[in-house]
Amino acid sequence: MNVADIQDLAEKAVRKVMKLGASHCDVVAVDSSYVVAEIEKSSVKQSSVIKDSGIGIRAFRNGASGFAYTTKHDSKAVDTVARLAVSQAGAGTPDPDFKDLPGDARPSKVDGLYEARVGRMPPEAVVDLAIALTNSASTDRRIVAVNAGVSAGSCSFALANSRGFSKTQRTTSIESSVESVARSDDKMFSGVDGSWGRRLDRVAMIVSGRNAMEHAVRGLRSKRLPTGDYPVVLDPLAGGFILLSALGGGLNAESVQRKRSYLSGLLGSKIATNRLTVHDDPTLSWASGSYAFDGEGTPAKRHSIIDKGILRSYLHDSYTAGKEGVDSTGNSSRGGANWTYRHPPSISSSNIVVSKGDASFEEIVRDTRRGVYLRVTYDYPNLATGEFSGLMMESYLIEKREIGPSIQQSTIGIGCVDLLSRIDMIGKKQRDAFGARVPPLRISRARIGGSG
Amino acid sequence: MDDLAQGAVDYAMSLGAEFADVRIESTVGTNIVVMDGRTKTMSAQEETGCGIRAFVGGAWGFSSSNALTRPSIREAAKSAVMMAAAAKSKAKIRYKIKGSRAVKARDVFRCKERLSDVGVDEKVAFALSLDKSMRSVDSRISSTNSRYDDLEVERVVANSFGSVVSARESWALAACSAWARSEGILQRGHASFGSVGGYELMRGEPAANLGVEAASQGLRLLESKPAPAGRYTCILDNKMTGMMAHEAFGHACEADAVLSSSSVLEGLLGKKVAHESISMYDDPTIKGTFGYFSIDWEGVRAKKHTLIENGVLKGYLHNIETSNRMGVEPNGAARAQSYNSPPIIRMSNTFIGPGDRKKDELIGEVKHGLLIQGNQYGYVEPAKGQFMFKCDEAHEIVRGEIGQRYRDASLSGVILEVLHSVTGVADDFLLGDPGYCGKFGQSARTTDGGPHICVTNMVVGGLS
Repeated sequence: MNVADIQDLAEKAVRKVMKLGASHCDVVAVDSSYVVAEIEKSSVKQSSVIKDSGIGIRAFRNGASGFAYTTKHDSKAVDTVARLAVSQAGAGTPDPDFKDLPGDARPSKVDGLYEARVGRMPPEAVVDLAIALTNSASTDRRIVAVNAGVSAGSCSFALANSRGFSKTQRTTSIESSVESVARSDDKMFSGVDGSWGRRLDRVAMIVSGRNAMEHAVRGLRSKRLPTGDYPVVLDPLAGGFILLSALGGGLNAESVQRKRSYLSGLLGSKIATNRLTVHDDPTLSWASGSYAFDGEGTPAKRHSIIDKGILRSYLHDSYTAGKEGVDSTGNSSRGGANWTYRHPPSISSSNIVVSKGDASFEEIVRDTRRGVYLRVTYDYPNLATGEFSGLMMESYLIEKREIGPSIQQSTIGIGCVDLLSRIDMIGKKQRDAFGARVPPLRISRARIGGSG
Repeated sequence: MDDLAQGAVDYAMSLGAEFADVRIESTVGTNIVVMDGRTKTMSAQEETGCGIRAFVGGAWGFSSSNALTRPSIREAAKSAVMMAAAAKSKAKIRYKIKGSRAVKARDVFRCKERLSDVGVDEKVAFALSLDKSMRSVDSRISSTNSRYDDLEVERVVANSFGSVVSARESWALAACSAWARSEGILQRGHASFGSVGGYELMRGEPAANLGVEAASQGLRLLESKPAPAGRYTCILDNKMTGMMAHEAFGHACEADAVLSSSSVLEGLLGKKVAHESISMYDDPTIKGTFGYFSIDWEGVRAKKHTLIENGVLKGYLHNIETSNRMGVEPNGAARAQSYNSPPIIRMSNTFIGPGDRKKDELIGEVKHGLLIQGNQYGYVEPAKGQFMFKCDEAHEIVRGEIGQRYRDASLSGVILEVLHSVTGVADDFLLGDPGYCGKFGQSARTTDGGPHICVTNMVVGGLS
């Protein structure tokens, strides 16, 4: 489907829903396509093309919202799903806190949402990229297997609502992941890495392969660590993953208003070191979380979350903003890098950006006499208490101011506000990871549960 | 749908595929979220589509389409063959898919009351009643969420072995979260219940009690302290034993991880990998469980898998590809999240079998340790051999007596060490709560379980 057809479909659906008795509605129509190449043990295993199009309708009656979606585009199917959305809304409880949807507004000018090279990438090119990534992760003789994947996607979508907003957007995304497995005698270790963005950055992809390999090899030598308090250097991979949840989830205005978040009631308070400044920025060129307008049509804008340690803003959509009498921050999300029609919009961060510091990564390590370098964790904090306790999936001992062997079977525990407050060094080079742009960070002290 | 599916397979084979399969699905579902006494979102889904795989000389091509017309399915079949050819030209690992006996079967998930026959008003009333039940427990319950999900899927799978199987899948799940607040302290409790079946699941006591369970847990946690970090002897409850079986061992038993050298269990078939008191299984055929199915998503009949028997590694979970590469029979462990994802190897109901000790005996023998209860989530990197899982609640055990309550303890371990460190297995076997397992971006419904077990030297993460 071309973009004009998609927009026409969305606008017609809006008219249909309003005729059925909704007070408000918005409709998203999406046409997307992904090409994926998967490498197993350094050999191409599978390539896929996934085409996905559909329409998602959100209708309101007495403030209650109903949502329905379908994978079909014909008039009968859209009619059915429109009726379904309206009847779902009718079954809901009245909600006086719902005020209105965003009106017609000019989307922000954001460069770098669509790259034709990615949008039209043929399967062979995606396979070649995956092979190049694999090769970069396998040059050391101790590497016994590389597993990798590259996904290139493009998406055209239209968003229309009952207040006259009707806009289209095209986006691309390209992501890669790589796992490099090293063996030596009876030791085995793996390094992982990835890349995220809206345009092809072959260099970043190759660097991620080398990173995975170097860490797989480095990790073959391992040590156990006794339980205790240690300074912890967070790689952007670990920092991005933790902050995405700690801030992206903790600042969700829905959770804050319902007093479910550890950050409720702390607006204007000091929650971090003076050194720390963080923005939510959907206007970054080529970043995977960027957009010109959010999932409800609010123009994208960069806004401060933490300014020199002070909590400046929560993340709002039109509902939470209306409830509180403030402007939406444009954080209504319709999915990840490319939109989906399968879920109603919900609040999410766009790109969490931690401002740069002035130290190189090497300087941070040299400044750490004995500590921990945490590269990968997949844990997230308890957002009610703000307590973070998780496995250090890939971590290394810092001994004599140098990165040493990997640490076996250890955990990290720290409160999120303590984590933000104890950051005493910030790197000067940021990196995109999991939807955050983060430099290396050092926490002066965290509890490490060791096995030594 | 059978004719459409068979036609697509034939077309893919005529274009040069050595093996092809097609899944056509039609799905309807409902999701209702209630927050603080009001409906927040109510969603209905209606989707149809097909996913087609073609195999050529050691490489796979996959293509999906939302359109179910004959031309669009043929287009998808053609695309799958082209994708396979593109992959084959760069594939280094070569193997063949040998022919297999055709399966013709239909599996209709048993349900007394079809989910699509129950109106949305009744489902909303149920979700609102859960929400109300949480708030009625105690005035310290400050915020509530209840959730109801159901899904009905009609699926046809056809492949070039001549198999044509179909299933009518049906499941429902409800979940509650309650936030308790007192003197500036905020804690969250949660509970969930669900299974394959119809709406009758939501009419029983287990569903009705969810709100009270979640609220009670939130209130209990108000009295808890952050878990202490260190090495402990741990008694794992039924749910945590199940999660350990799933995370610590189940993923490493998936043959795709073994073949990609991403599992520390590679080459250990027939070897001792656990204490002899440990036997572990994955069984999708247990009726009335959230992980149930009788035919997998490749059209292979499902069966109970013995993964460990008396401490010895007995087998892996296979799909058609891995079984051909390893020279064994496929054992029906392939599943896909939906038609637009290729089937991959998944666990179903994963559990450690019962032993002969009593739970209280195990606790009574611990001098200083932790009782670990309820699972939040877990994950593993089979290549590193490390796993972690996080519990809902923990209690200190001192000289066999249960003491201080802790929260948010995360337990980590090494796959090849942890099951050797089991020193006792109780006889109180139980399958735990329904859950979802994520792998390669796909989600699959699962259940884990087992008896209480005692494990020494577990690393516990905490804040103190």
